[in-house]
Amino acid sequence: MRRRGFLHTLAKILSIAGFASLPYGLVRFMQPGQVVAGQKHIPLPGALAKEHDFVAACIGCGLCGEVCPPRCVKFYKHTEGAKANTPYIDPAEKACILCARCMEICPTDALSVIPLREIKMGIAQIDRVACYPWVDRGICGACVSICPLGNDAISYEFGNVYRPIVKQACVGCGLCVEVCPEPSLPIRIVDRSEPTIARHGMGIRRKVYE
Amino acid sequence: MNWQVHLNKLRWLVLSLVMLMLVLIPFLHLYQSYEAAHAYDLLKPGERLIYDSMEFISGPFISDPENDLDGLKGTTWSGTLFGLALSDPLALLGQISASLSLHWSFLLTALIPILLTLLAGRFFCGWICPATFIYELNDNLGTWLRRAGLPISRRKLDRRIKYVVLLMGVLIGMFTGAVMFAAIYPPAILGREIYYAIAVGGFGSGMVFFILTLLFDLLVARRGFCRSICPGGALYSLLGRFRLLRIQRKVETCNDCTKCNAVCQFDLDPWHDDFGQECNNCSACIAVCPTDALVFEMKYKDQPFQGAGHLGQDYKKQQGDIKPASGED
Repeated sequence: MRRRGFLHTLAKILSIAGFASLPYGLVRFMQPGQVVAGQKHIPLPGALAKEHDFVAACIGCGLCGEVCPPRCVKFYKHTEGAKANTPYIDPAEKACILCARCMEICPTDALSVIPLREIKMGIAQIDRVACYPWVDRGICGACVSICPLGNDAISYEFGNVYRPIVKQACVGCGLCVEVCPEPSLPIRIVDRSEPTIARHGMGIRRKVYE
Repeated sequence: MNWQVHLNKLRWLVLSLVMLMLVLIPFLHLYQSYEAAHAYDLLKPGERLIYDSMEFISGPFISDPENDLDGLKGTTWSGTLFGLALSDPLALLGQISASLSLHWSFLLTALIPILLTLLAGRFFCGWICPATFIYELNDNLGTWLRRAGLPISRRKLDRRIKYVVLLMGVLIGMFTGAVMFAAIYPPAILGREIYYAIAVGGFGSGMVFFILTLLFDLLVARRGFCRSICPGGALYSLLGRFRLLRIQRKVETCNDCTKCNAVCQFDLDPWHDDFGQECNNCSACIAVCPTDALVFEMKYKDQPFQGAGHLGQDYKKQQGDIKPASGED
């Protein structure tokens, strides 16, 4: 009898503890997380698809940086090993304006001249839980106004003039990232295999755009 | 008086101009980007000074700075000289070895330097290379320090080391898939670092390497980097082995003063007609020769040792054995 009483007590305690922790568990599972963190460094327009090929073809002459009108092209330091002196763009700081001068000047095949709409630097992704119009915290539209490719690449969602959606024509120049006023950068450039809407899985830890 | 005596002054002028251009191009780039942004009213006073001075310099030559300045870009590693795209042959070799493929338009940009090297040998090393400008000044500094009594080593390294460096660079490039020469080739480093310092802000790690090579030249071996380590020098030496334009000694006017040997920073032996593939046609020996015995000639091979100079004591002694005999008649 004493053992049965003990088991009853144990079951009560466990069920109370279980129900008490239910809200915590639910919050823990349902809090928004991000599958993909935005790329801090994106390749130049017209760059070879694989980074390994690009590093092999680039001679590190710096011409792409010298012709860039907005001076968005930066160069890796020696700490990056084999990538040292090869160029990259940090769209959050200064984005590419798709003027194609770096493609024209590059002496090697690291950057080749390709039509504007076939450039593949990445694709923009919008985090709908952080973008001001998507969470009804104001009106913005900065990303849509700045886009050099117009309505094929980014436009407003039907029926609401200020909620931006990214379309497949986006080449990933990153101008939208540069102008985005929200400090956590709800719009970011990701690999082209990723979706244009940030996925929020259950229980996935939030990865912040560095 | 031989007109070639003045070639060394011309060479210093060319070296200074190349150096000046490497400094000027980043400033012109800044001016161009300010112009493209129509941002004159937003510039800070320092930036406005750059804008105004570059406008003053380039104004007489161009009408549309935003586009016309694209004609003058880059460094000696790869760049555009008044619309003509030129690349270093070592960059071509590095790119071929790293990506194991040949990009034809890149080969075309390197073609003019390759042809000129086949004709004039290591002329790039002596006449254009921006690092040579600094290395030669550094060598003069070394001479002064030596005169002041500092123990400066004049160790002589094997000149063939640089061919091993070239081969290693090609092999490392093939295995790692990155152009390794760009990291250890002084003109490439210097051009890049000057650009970084002016237009991007701050020097990179390449400048540390370059200062180390300066110290190496000063403390270990005289002009040691160019002579025995530089992979570019190795490539040019190989390409220029059968160059057509050579400095040769005219034995009739040589007086065996050996000033040419003393002045040669590449440690060659012009006095004994030993120039070889290493000579960078810098013409310092021509400038120093008191009797104009050294001249540029069109030949694909060095002539063998011609014996003592005819104006020198040794030759007179050799002739002296015969002359009194013929004079007594």
